[in-house]
Amino acid sequence: MERWRLIAGHVPGPVGLVLVLAAAALAIAEAARAYRRPVPGVSRATRAGLFALRCVGALALLAVAFELSLAFETTSKAGPRLVVLADDSASMAIADAAAPGQKAIPRVDRIRALWRRSEGARAAWREQGLAVQVRRFGERSEALSGPAEDALSLDARAGASDLQRALAELAADDPSADPRPLAGVIVLSDGLFDRTDRGASDPLLVAARDLGVPITTVAAGAPHLVDLALTDLRAGEFAFVENVAEFAADIEAHGLPGARTEVVLRRDGQVVATEPFTAPVSGHATVRFEVAPDRIGQFVYEIEVRPVDGEATTANNRRAFVVKVLRDKVRALHVAGRPDWDVRALRTLLGRDPNVELLSYYILRGADDADREDPSAPLSLIAFPTDELFKEQLGSFDLVILHNFDALNHQVGRYLADIGQYVQDGGALVVIGGDMGLATGDYPAPPLAAVVPVDIRAPTGLETDPFRPALTDAGRRHPITAWIDSSGLSDWSALPQLDSYNPVKLARHEAAIGSAVLLKHPKGGPLLAIAEPGRGRVLVLATGATWRLGFSADLPIVDGARPYDLLWLGAIRWLLRDAAADRLTLETDKPTYLLGAPITLRATALSPSYAPEADVAIDWRVQPLGAAPEGSGGPVTLLSQGTWSTDALGRASEVLRGGLSVGAYEAVAQRVAGADQPAAAQQARRVFLVQEAGRELGRIAAGPGDERLKRLAEATGGRSLRAEADDLPADPPLKPGHGPGERVDSRRDVPVWSGGLAMLLLVLSLGGEALLRRRVGLP
Amino acid sequence: MTSTRRRLLAGAAGLCAAAALRPARAQPGLFGPFGDDEFREPTAVLTVDLPQLQYAGKWNPRPGAMRELAVELRLRTRLEPVREPSVVTGESPALFGTPFLYVAGEGGLPPLGAKAEAALGRFLDLGGMIVFDAADGGADLGFERDVAALLGRILPGAALTRVAADHVLYRSFYLVETPFGRTAAHDHVLGVQEEGRLKALLVRNDLGGALARDEGGLFTHPCTPGGATQREWAFRFAVNILLYATCTDYKADRAHVETLLRHRRWR
Repeated sequence: MERWRLIAGHVPGPVGLVLVLAAAALAIAEAARAYRRPVPGVSRATRAGLFALRCVGALALLAVAFELSLAFETTSKAGPRLVVLADDSASMAIADAAAPGQKAIPRVDRIRALWRRSEGARAAWREQGLAVQVRRFGERSEALSGPAEDALSLDARAGASDLQRALAELAADDPSADPRPLAGVIVLSDGLFDRTDRGASDPLLVAARDLGVPITTVAAGAPHLVDLALTDLRAGEFAFVENVAEFAADIEAHGLPGARTEVVLRRDGQVVATEPFTAPVSGHATVRFEVAPDRIGQFVYEIEVRPVDGEATTANNRRAFVVKVLRDKVRALHVAGRPDWDVRALRTLLGRDPNVELLSYYILRGADDADREDPSAPLSLIAFPTDELFKEQLGSFDLVILHNFDALNHQVGRYLADIGQYVQDGGALVVIGGDMGLATGDYPAPPLAAVVPVDIRAPTGLETDPFRPALTDAGRRHPITAWIDSSGLSDWSALPQLDSYNPVKLARHEAAIGSAVLLKHPKGGPLLAIAEPGRGRVLVLATGATWRLGFSADLPIVDGARPYDLLWLGAIRWLLRDAAADRLTLETDKPTYLLGAPITLRATALSPSYAPEADVAIDWRVQPLGAAPEGSGGPVTLLSQGTWSTDALGRASEVLRGGLSVGAYEAVAQRVAGADQPAAAQQARRVFLVQEAGRELGRIAAGPGDERLKRLAEATGGRSLRAEADDLPADPPLKPGHGPGERVDSRRDVPVWSGGLAMLLLVLSLGGEALLRRRVGLP
Repeated sequence: MTSTRRRLLAGAAGLCAAAALRPARAQPGLFGPFGDDEFREPTAVLTVDLPQLQYAGKWNPRPGAMRELAVELRLRTRLEPVREPSVVTGESPALFGTPFLYVAGEGGLPPLGAKAEAALGRFLDLGGMIVFDAADGGADLGFERDVAALLGRILPGAALTRVAADHVLYRSFYLVETPFGRTAAHDHVLGVQEEGRLKALLVRNDLGGALARDEGGLFTHPCTPGGATQREWAFRFAVNILLYATCTDYKADRAHVETLLRHRRWR
C-alpha cells in the first residue's frame, strides 16, 4: 500500500511554536479581514489575489520554519512474532531414555524429531499471520533462517545455556528495525540452564515475567540416565607441606546402583591416591582424600571418577584445581654444647624470623659444674629431654642444628643413627664446629657419618689461629655463598678473619651424596661443605666463628644486610628448599582462568645477594601441563614463547590474550646463561588452569531441568510440554490484544523547505503582495 | 727353656705396653657400637672474653672484678671465659673483638670522645651489649646521670627504663629476685631494651664491688647488709648477666617456661 505523509524536520520549542503559529494565523486572519472589507478602487479579484498571496507566503514561511518534507511510503501488514528458542548447549547431546532398558536418545535428536512432527503446527502459525522467528541459544542466541531454520540446525556443543540472556536479547530487540510485536515464546530445552535455580525468586523467572509474553516450554530430557558425574569439589587454594590437607569430591550417580569403579587423585598428572567407589542407590556420595604434600610449590591436582561402561558422558568425570603448597612455620631444633657468641648470633638470627618456630636446648652446665654447685641454689635449668627431642619429635623438625655439641656426653650418641635416617628421609641437618662435636669426634655413628660430606667420626681438634677462608668455584655459583663473589669480597680482605677451625677431611663417600665444598681453609681443608644425601640436605661448618661476620668494626654491608645474615639466610633457604632461595620467580595473576580471559605472567630476577637484577634475559614459554620435558626428544607443543629483559626492579611481564583452550598448562621461565655466568639452572615454573565459565555438564539429570521449565511456563502463562510425548501446539499461548501490525517496506522523503521552490514561493508571494498593494494604493 | 720363658715374658710385656699406649678415649666399635656415651674432653676450648672499657677517669674502681667473674663462670657454668679478661678503649678495633663490654665507674663517666662514642653506638647496633656498673652503690647519682646522657647520644631516642622483675635476665641461669651487689640500695636494674634485647644494662648496686678480690684472694669489699649471702646472690646475678649476654632470651622459650612452671621452680 502506497501513502504519503507530511513530516516536520524541526519543531521549535513550545514558545517558539506558539509564536510561529500565532504569527502565521494573524497574518492570514488580517488578510482575510482585508479581503472581506470593501475598499474603494480595489476590486474583489484584487482583494482575493492579495489574500491568496498572503496565505501562500505564510504557508511557505511555515514550510521553511518547520523544515517540512513529504514522505512517500510503501507499507504492508505484519502479524505478531512468535519466537522459538532452541537450546544448543552441550547437555543437549546427552542421551537418556524414558525407562531402564529402553534405547537412550540424545536430547537434541528428540527436539529435532519434535520439530519434524510439528510441521503442520508451524504451517498453522503462518496461516494465523504469526511471524515465526527461530533462534538457537547457548552462551548467546543466534537467529536461524532458511534451511537451518527448517531443519532446526543445532550442534549441541555450546559451553553454556544462558536462557536468561536469550530472553534479555529478545526484550532488547529494536522495534524500529522490526516492528512486529512479540506475542509469545516457545523454549525447546532440557532446562539445565546456566544460572542457579533459586526457586520462586529465580532471576530467570523474573526476566521471563518482564518479557510480558507467555512462554511455552518443551522438556527435551528423559528420566532414565546412566552417568557418574563429579558435581562439586571442595579444596583449599593453599596447603602446607607435611600438613594433612583434605580434598573432597561430591559424585552424583544415575542408573548405576552398585557399580564399582575408583576415584583417582592426581598431582601434575601423576596418581597420588585412589579410593574405591561404589555408586550409591541414593545417587549422591562424597569421596575424600587426605594428603600431606611432600614439597612446596604450585601443583595441578585432579580428581577423576574412572568411567563406567555406558555412561552418557565422561566429560563430567573429572575436575582439576590448583593448590599452592606453602611451608608452614619452619620448625628448627638448635642444640648447643655451650653458650658462646656463635650460638648467640645464630639464635638471634633465627629468633628474628616470625616464620621460624625455634626450639633451643643449650647445655649451660656440665656434670662437674653441677658437682660444685650449692644444691640449694634455685636454678632455672631443666633436664635435657633427649628422648623427646631425638626419638619422639625428631621427624617434626624441618631443621636440626648441632652447634658445637658434644653428643656423647649427653646421652645423644644412641640417637645419632636416627638423625642420619632423619636426613635420608628428607630432613635438613647443620653441624657447626667449635671445641666440641667435630673437635672431639662426638658423632661416631656410621648412619650419621654416611650422610655428612666430611669425616665426622675422627676428632679434629680445634685451631684458633686467625685465617681468611677461600671461596671455591662451587662457592661462587652456589646460592649460599655466591653473594661473596658478586659483591667483590671473594678475597676476604674486607671481611673479618675467623679464629676457630676444625681441620676436617672430606668423607670418602662425599661424591656419592652430591657434596660440594663452598668455602675452604687456606691450608685447603673444607670449611663449609654441603651435601644432598637421600631426600635431605646437610651443611657442615667447620668453624665456630662465623659470628664475626656480623660483628666487626669495618663490617661491609651488602645490599643492606650483614655478611653473617646473608650467609645464614642463604644456608637456611637452601637447606629447606625454600622458593625464596630461587633467584628467578614466576607468577601468574590467577591460578584459574575462564576461557578467553587474559593471562598475565610476571617474572622477577634477583642477584646472588637477592637484590633485584635489571637487564636479565629470561626465556619463557607456555605449554600444556605434562608436555615432554625440554631436551627429552618428545614432542613439545609450545603455545606461546618469547624472551624478556628485566627492568630496573628486576621485573618482566607478559599478557596472553586468550587463545588457550580448556585444560591445564604450565608457564616456564628460564634465565638465559650469559658468557660470564656459569650455566646455573635457574628455572621457575607455574601451573594454571583454563576452564569454561559454567559447569554445563556438571549436573545432567533431566529432572531438575524439567521442574524449572514447568515453573517457567506456569509463571508466564505458557504451556509445559514434553518432547517425546507432545507436539508443538497449533495455537500456542500468545499475548492477548495483538492484532496485525503494519510494516513500512520502503520510504522516500522529498524535502519541501529546502528546495528552491519554497524560497521562490516565499519571495513571489510576499513580494507580489507588496507590489500589488502599492499598485492599488493600499498601505 | 729359659730363653722361651724370657720370650714369653717379653711378649707379655710388649702386649701390656701396647695396651698402655692405647688412646684414652674409646674408638668406635671397640667398646659398644658407637663408643657409648663416654665423657670427652676438648683439647682446646672456645673461650669468651669479658672486656672492660678503659677511659680517662675512674674506669677501674673494682680491679679484678671481671677476672673473678670469669672464674665463677668457669666453675658454675659451661661458659669458658678467658682467665684474664681484656681491657679495651673506645677507639681500638679490639672493642669489636667481643659483643660484650663491661663499663665501671664511680662518681661520674667523663665524655669518651666522638670517635669512641660513635664506635660504641655501632657496637650496640651490630648486636653488642654493654653493662654499666656504678661503684657508688647508690650513694652518688653522677655515674648514672652520665651513663644516661651517653646512651642518649649513642642511641638517640632510647631510654633507660626499669627492667621488669619477670625479665629473662632474672632466670637466665639462677632464679634471682633482687640484683644485689656490694649494696642493696636498688631492687632493680635499668636497661635499654630495643629490637627484642637488652642493649645496655645499668647496675647500681656496685656489682663489681661484690666480686672483686684483693691480691691475697680475700674479697675486697664487704657486702651490706646481707654479708656473704648477699655476695653469693651478687655472683648469681652476675652469672645471669653473662648467660643472658650469650643466650639472650633462651630461658623465655615456651618449652622452658612450661617446664619450669610444671615443676614449680619459677613463680
